[in-house]
Amino acid sequence: MSGRVIVITSGKGGVGKTTASANIGVALANTGASVCLVDMDIGLRNLDILMGLENRVVYNLVDVVEERCKLRQALVKDKRMPNLNLLPAAQTRDKTAVDADQMKKLCEELKSMFDFVLIDSPAGIESGFQNAIAGAEEAIVITTPEMSAVRDADRIIGLLEARKDEITQYRLVLNRLRPKMVANADMMGVDDVLEILSIKLLGVVPEDEDIIISTNKGEPVSGTDNTRSGLAFRNIARRLRGEEVPFMDLEAKNDTWVTKIVNFFNPVRV
Amino acid sequence: MSKIAIISQPDQGVLIDVGGCASMQEAVSHLSSTLQVSSQFWKGVNVALNLGDLELTSTQVAHILALAKGVGVYPYQVFAQQPLTRGALLEHGVILGDGKPMTLPAMTIKVPENPQEDEWVDESVNIDEESTVTVFYEPSENQLITEDVPSDGPEAQVDFAPKAETSPPSTSSPKSEKTEKNSKSAKAKEKVEGSVHAGVMYLRQTLRSGQSVSHQGHLVIIGDVNPGAEVVADGDITVWGALRGIARAGVGGNNDAEIRALRLQPIQIRIGESFARSPDKNRLHYDNHHGPETARVVDGKIKVFKFNPQF
Repeated sequence: MSGRVIVITSGKGGVGKTTASANIGVALANTGASVCLVDMDIGLRNLDILMGLENRVVYNLVDVVEERCKLRQALVKDKRMPNLNLLPAAQTRDKTAVDADQMKKLCEELKSMFDFVLIDSPAGIESGFQNAIAGAEEAIVITTPEMSAVRDADRIIGLLEARKDEITQYRLVLNRLRPKMVANADMMGVDDVLEILSIKLLGVVPEDEDIIISTNKGEPVSGTDNTRSGLAFRNIARRLRGEEVPFMDLEAKNDTWVTKIVNFFNPVRV
Repeated sequence: MSKIAIISQPDQGVLIDVGGCASMQEAVSHLSSTLQVSSQFWKGVNVALNLGDLELTSTQVAHILALAKGVGVYPYQVFAQQPLTRGALLEHGVILGDGKPMTLPAMTIKVPENPQEDEWVDESVNIDEESTVTVFYEPSENQLITEDVPSDGPEAQVDFAPKAETSPPSTSSPKSEKTEKNSKSAKAKEKVEGSVHAGVMYLRQTLRSGQSVSHQGHLVIIGDVNPGAEVVADGDITVWGALRGIARAGVGGNNDAEIRALRLQPIQIRIGESFARSPDKNRLHYDNHHGPETARVVDGKIKVFKFNPQF
């Protein structure tokens, strides 16, 4: 088996890398693929909390790299889906605990075991980011519709483009979009962001309180029905698997008739 | 190898190991944060220092020694591999350590491993739920005794009341009373037969996420152990505060070790070869707790009891 190694990155912190990693991981596993989530945010690990697996972590990525345990011992199996695994980061170490060559080797090994290897990159463009992209072949760039996040995403895309030989494909996920604010011209819309970044769109995730609830519960929304954000992440997973999924209509509730007409001609898409 | 390690052993004092650092700057930053965070801890402690493979000039060595001196630490010996560093140390009159510095105790946690390739998925679960995991906070087995503490009458209260109210300044009787009481308490003290354990590490500090303390012997922490922090000891672990991170007591196979805390709310605890983890729901609220509790191994499983000072 040779799986796909996809890094999830953003440059700016707090735009939803880890949330997206967890949700896309769960959604991919729901389609039947075997998935391994790799937390590369060494020293600031969070992915295990979002997955609700914090209490099951015994060994971590640094233990594997430093050969204190076998890779398979460090993998934490998800409590809901057996085909979803997590390789947690070390919390008592820092970004210098691993290097790019070790990550490449690790990704090669994981690739032979799983259909999808999703790497949750740390914020920033320093060594942590460089290590996270070292073994990746594809990238998902996450941004929110804010000037600063888009600026940082642009910087990241530049860095990814410089490694065209290794990273063959990179696509955008626009996170935390508020259709109502876009309609009122108070927020950048999908087209505005794409205009700047000129990058292929993988999905749009609306702002959703359910994300906060699910994060605190340790149950990613994409595993549960009836949430708009969960549906958006499931669509992203299907697109990753090569399906053509139409972008869904993301109309704001309580529209006035004016905005309804505006949206009719200029629909916001998920 | 971690950037900095603090290892303490009963007979050898404490070793500060910065041998994992790649550069002088790194070593200095780790060293200064470690020394300053717990400066009270270093008082009267034999400290050794391991510089590992760092190549340091005389001025750099002086810098490090000054840093230690600032918090009252005078390393009784320093380990170094590089000739340049060793020369510089000798220049400053520091005693070089012979041989290898002490190392962390090896931790053995049994994790199942399956040689059969095709069945590995099941074995990748690193915790065997059925056999070893006890979920915390099932009702404690010991009932909390709520009897009133017997009082010694009005005499005993004198001790706790402000002096000005109870003891007039120029009378001799309270003095004799006092001496009597002192001798009483001294007698009571003689009766106490504590286990004399040299290797107790006493740390007055809250451990935050990412921080870890390891000790060969009993470990006492006055402060909280936050989620993401880790405390490791081959004896007991006592937290005068909330234990919310990971605690491993009895490392090296001591199944009689205990973990106790005023608020026992850990993510994981391990005692000897046993393992327990918190319930699967992420914890949002930490204010509901069960009071002081002790975790110990009973029949190969970790169980949590209300703290009851009757051993």
